[in-house]
Amino acid sequence: MQTRHWLQRPWVWWLFLLPVLLFSLSMGSVSLSLDQLFKPDTITYGIVWHLRLPRALNAILVGGSLALAGLLIQNMVKNPLADPYLLGVSGGAASCQLLVIMLGLTVSQAALFFIGFGGSLLATLLVLKLSYHGRIKPNKVTLNGVVMAFGFAAVISFMLSLADGQQIRSMMFWLMGDLSFAQPSWLMGVLLIFCYVLLQRQHSALDLLARGELFARKSGVHAERLNLMVFLMTALLTSMAVAQAGTIGFVGLIIPHIVRLLVGYQHRHLLPISILAGALFLLIADTLARTLLSPVQLPVGIFTALIGVPVFLVLSRKI
Amino acid sequence: MLTAQHISVTLDNRRVLSDLSCAFSAGEFWGIIGQNGAGKSTLLRCLSGLITPDVGQVMVDGENMHQLDPLSRAQKVAYLMQEQEPSLAFSVYQAVEMGRYPWPDDPDNRHHITEQMLQECRIENLQNRSILQLSGGERRKVEIATCLAQNSDYLLLDEPFNHLDVVYQRFLVRKLQAISRKKSVVMVCHDLDVVQKYCTHVLMLLGGDCYLSGDSATMLNNAHMDKLFDEPI
Repeated sequence: MQTRHWLQRPWVWWLFLLPVLLFSLSMGSVSLSLDQLFKPDTITYGIVWHLRLPRALNAILVGGSLALAGLLIQNMVKNPLADPYLLGVSGGAASCQLLVIMLGLTVSQAALFFIGFGGSLLATLLVLKLSYHGRIKPNKVTLNGVVMAFGFAAVISFMLSLADGQQIRSMMFWLMGDLSFAQPSWLMGVLLIFCYVLLQRQHSALDLLARGELFARKSGVHAERLNLMVFLMTALLTSMAVAQAGTIGFVGLIIPHIVRLLVGYQHRHLLPISILAGALFLLIADTLARTLLSPVQLPVGIFTALIGVPVFLVLSRKI
Repeated sequence: MLTAQHISVTLDNRRVLSDLSCAFSAGEFWGIIGQNGAGKSTLLRCLSGLITPDVGQVMVDGENMHQLDPLSRAQKVAYLMQEQEPSLAFSVYQAVEMGRYPWPDDPDNRHHITEQMLQECRIENLQNRSILQLSGGERRKVEIATCLAQNSDYLLLDEPFNHLDVVYQRFLVRKLQAISRKKSVVMVCHDLDVVQKYCTHVLMLLGGDCYLSGDSATMLNNAHMDKLFDEPI
């Protein structure tokens, strides 16, 4: 167990995050020097403050939320392959939002956000309700979530096969995850901080829960209550992220694993570092997605996998 | 005093315990014996508050166990499970420290007691190892140390000697005997020699709603032994 103690400190990760943020703000179809970044004229001011900064903040919030949700869900269902989308979240949101796109309805960005959020929350609550027998049974959640995901995948394929060429392109972007549309949502920022603060107070209870529900209960944890709280938080965080940016894969699956390899298994460290690492990871991936072939913008989901897979494989060999 | 008052438990439509009463006090070292499936583990789970009996109640120091919140329950009763589910790679130190969870208001003693338990249970040399890399016996020692770190008044142990070597078995039973002078120790055990030699009291689950309890000298006689071994569950 070679945990790196300096990586357990959140400020170290802020130190990683800030230069990447500055780099991300200066890169794009118009490259800016640091000088221009800090003393902007009207044009660069517009580019930075109205285009790049919102998108970067969006990446930070979505990445942090997905990583936190992934950490929680893997802990709850005790399955290393679990990711936030296990709860049927992505399918629910995607189906509803795609339906709106396909029907050709013109709705505002905010409305699309709430349609996606509502769809995913409904799907999640359905999975949780089906897995509830006096208390939430984690292995039932896994099974019901996977089955529901298949159902939604069929619905989505059905809609894609009916859609015309132009629609398919915008739908594909959305299915792969895309940060370019939405403005950062303050609601999401507040939710992420709120969840983090509540969870951090329960960090030792989460450690005990990781050792099994029975173990946690006999050691004095109110496991039923904690289970319910954590599942609801996962549902909210993921729904929010999906409504905001589509189904960006891989962040929620791989970041918690990488962070465990780096800082150990105690939630005291896992909670803050997962959020920061997820934010950092998605910011890098999104910066690459919009600059690598600029002015062509690629779906960010391609890069989360292209970076995440080799990083994880290297780390898991070393440790 | 920890008491079960006329408790009955049904699991998956099978009546596991019916109308069982027993009482455990400080200064007593109880052995629970009975054939496989007689309901020994179920009884311990009831006594630790993990299962609510269908009928009857469990009282601890005058309070109803199932009206206590989980934290105060764990302050009163520590429970050693028969088998621990596999889990993440916490270190041995971190695992034993988890036994201090019921005492959040006592952070000063947290490290002190954890280290003391590692020493007392002779596993301080393992403390930086991952619990997933331990042998079965070593893992059992860690679980026992975790329970002892809980520092509860009632210690409920489900087959504590599983996986342990003979040297450590003898060490552990003497340690439990010493603990039982001030606290109450209740263990499920299949080794009748150990029960006869060390336990002050015995509870026999004979199957067919037949429960016998009393001090071990009078209980472990031939008539009872015949009953224990011959009667089908």
